[in-house]
Amino acid sequence: MIFLYVGLPLIVAAILPLVGRLSKKFLPDILGNGVFLFLFAYAVTGGRSLIGAGPLTRTLNWFGEPLGIQLALDGFSLFMLATVALISLCVGLFSIDYMEHYGAKANYYSLLLMMVAGMNGLLLVTDLFQIYLFLEVAAVASYALVAFGREHEELEAAFKYLMLSAVASAAILLAVAVLFGMTGGVSFAVVSAGLRALDAKAAVGLVTALFLFGFGLKAALIPFHAWLPDAHPSAPAPISAILSGLLIKVSGVYAMTRVFFGVFGLTPALSQVLMWMGAVSIVVAALLALGQKDMKRMLAYSSISQVGYVVLGIGIGTPLGIAGGLFHLLNHAVAKSLLFLNSGSVQQATGTRNLDEMGGLAKRMPVTATTNLVGSLSIAGIPPLGGFWSKLLIIMALLQSRQGLLAVVAVLASVLTLWYYLIIQRRAFFGKLNERWAGIKEAPFWMAAATIVLAVLCLAFGVLFSSVISTWIQPAADVLAKGMGM
Amino acid sequence: MVLNIALLTGLVLFSALAVLARDLIKSAISLAVSSLLLGIVFFRMNAPFAGVFEISVVAGLITVLFILTIALTKSEGEVGESKAALWAFPIFFVVFIVIDALVMKGLMNKVPALPGAAESGAFGDVLWKQRTFDLIGQLAVILAGVFAVLALFRKRDNDNE
Repeated sequence: MIFLYVGLPLIVAAILPLVGRLSKKFLPDILGNGVFLFLFAYAVTGGRSLIGAGPLTRTLNWFGEPLGIQLALDGFSLFMLATVALISLCVGLFSIDYMEHYGAKANYYSLLLMMVAGMNGLLLVTDLFQIYLFLEVAAVASYALVAFGREHEELEAAFKYLMLSAVASAAILLAVAVLFGMTGGVSFAVVSAGLRALDAKAAVGLVTALFLFGFGLKAALIPFHAWLPDAHPSAPAPISAILSGLLIKVSGVYAMTRVFFGVFGLTPALSQVLMWMGAVSIVVAALLALGQKDMKRMLAYSSISQVGYVVLGIGIGTPLGIAGGLFHLLNHAVAKSLLFLNSGSVQQATGTRNLDEMGGLAKRMPVTATTNLVGSLSIAGIPPLGGFWSKLLIIMALLQSRQGLLAVVAVLASVLTLWYYLIIQRRAFFGKLNERWAGIKEAPFWMAAATIVLAVLCLAFGVLFSSVISTWIQPAADVLAKGMGM
Repeated sequence: MVLNIALLTGLVLFSALAVLARDLIKSAISLAVSSLLLGIVFFRMNAPFAGVFEISVVAGLITVLFILTIALTKSEGEVGESKAALWAFPIFFVVFIVIDALVMKGLMNKVPALPGAAESGAFGDVLWKQRTFDLIGQLAVILAGVFAVLALFRKRDNDNE
């Protein structure tokens, strides 16, 4: 049944263009969101019982004959599957109203489902070549989704994204090829055992550098971030939400973590590299965000900065650091998706993304303004929201492992984060209502509903942080810590 | 050895030409030639299946698709080749050869390898029984590409339905 995470979105994506001919609006909405709802319910209710007795590996059979399809589910992949399904569902609900004016909804949901199938596939695979393959499935769908509006800006951003992403994929493929040449296999277990049998420091260094470059580019870590501030703002808002909320984490952070922790093992040198890449991303992207006037571009720089926190936390390599990093991954996925969806509501109502042209929108869009405030405060790390606890865990882990300088950087950058989110609040939602927007209305039902769900989750993850950590984060962190022999 | 060097040199030459040529037909043909040379290299390195796929799909099918697509687009007169290609290409090529000669041999010697495992079955067995999930992944990549074309080349009047 694990195969459903990949098979179901693939099959529905394949039939949607045909179904779309029967009904251009309702059936694509129902089928797309039905799949996301099923995947979420399955991950939350059935997933944990599947891995109750430990990590699960399944080989698929076809009429009794074993197929060459082996999938693995453990605490880490289940946590990510649930996150992917949750954000996809909220994005799907938001799309019901938001994508009306784009048209071609069946095509849109097909691509969205393909992207989710690609991400889910990547989360379940057991070998390096399949990581590359499913990375490409998600990437190809995402190029088209960034360009979905077909305006000049969108096409240009999609092209830039495609070019840089292709370079990243090439580096990853080259690394896989070198490892295959050295160890004679591509499965995590074979490569890991092969590397232990070989004394190959120089070659492992080369392969690590290639993976760092490839996955770093996919995760948009500084200095590999150039594509993200163009691609994410240009896409339709639900796609910006899923790119920033999920894709950079699955194809960048998850894949990198799985390879470094599960195959190579985290060495002290690699830990330092990851922590410093994370810290530089946090600070530089936060400073770049401060100068932005385009609301979505500011959010895009913020994504780079917050992914920096995730990598910093995971890079520490201690159980507390890994838990903090993964919890921040979840909090950022929820809050950043919420903020991008909010920006879509604002853009649809006003026709602009320029913060200087907004002002006082809270008076006309109270739901959007309130949910935006919740998401902003969560990312900025204000208690009792989820982002506060995850940043606190990361900072505690840094202090615990005697990384005082990085802890100070993380605290100060959090103040910067609060600063630029307050800029959004002040320029867009509070203050005097700009006369141009006197006639605008609150976002339609499904758009508002999706943002309310995400805002409630930002609050719930903070209030119920202890149970979220014990139920979802700890099993995931245990898998990574065990991969390092802790 | 000499033949291998000649094949690899040709591969780099035609790959660079595929990037540098402004005329799309010349670019597509350069790509086809480079992939044909790569196919021969695969055969010589005892990887016949990779060679067959490289030559039939990349050099053959994809080139036909490229040329058909280019033929269907409107030409706006002659395309002048960039003069930058005349000086950029030789520089690129020399730099590439120098780096290759200096680095690659030393690098390859530093990459140890375990003894190769025995062949684990016939091509069909490997493809259908051992790497089935790869096929699903490839199918998904192709499907994603098809949906991308459907979405990005949709008719304007569909937009407001």
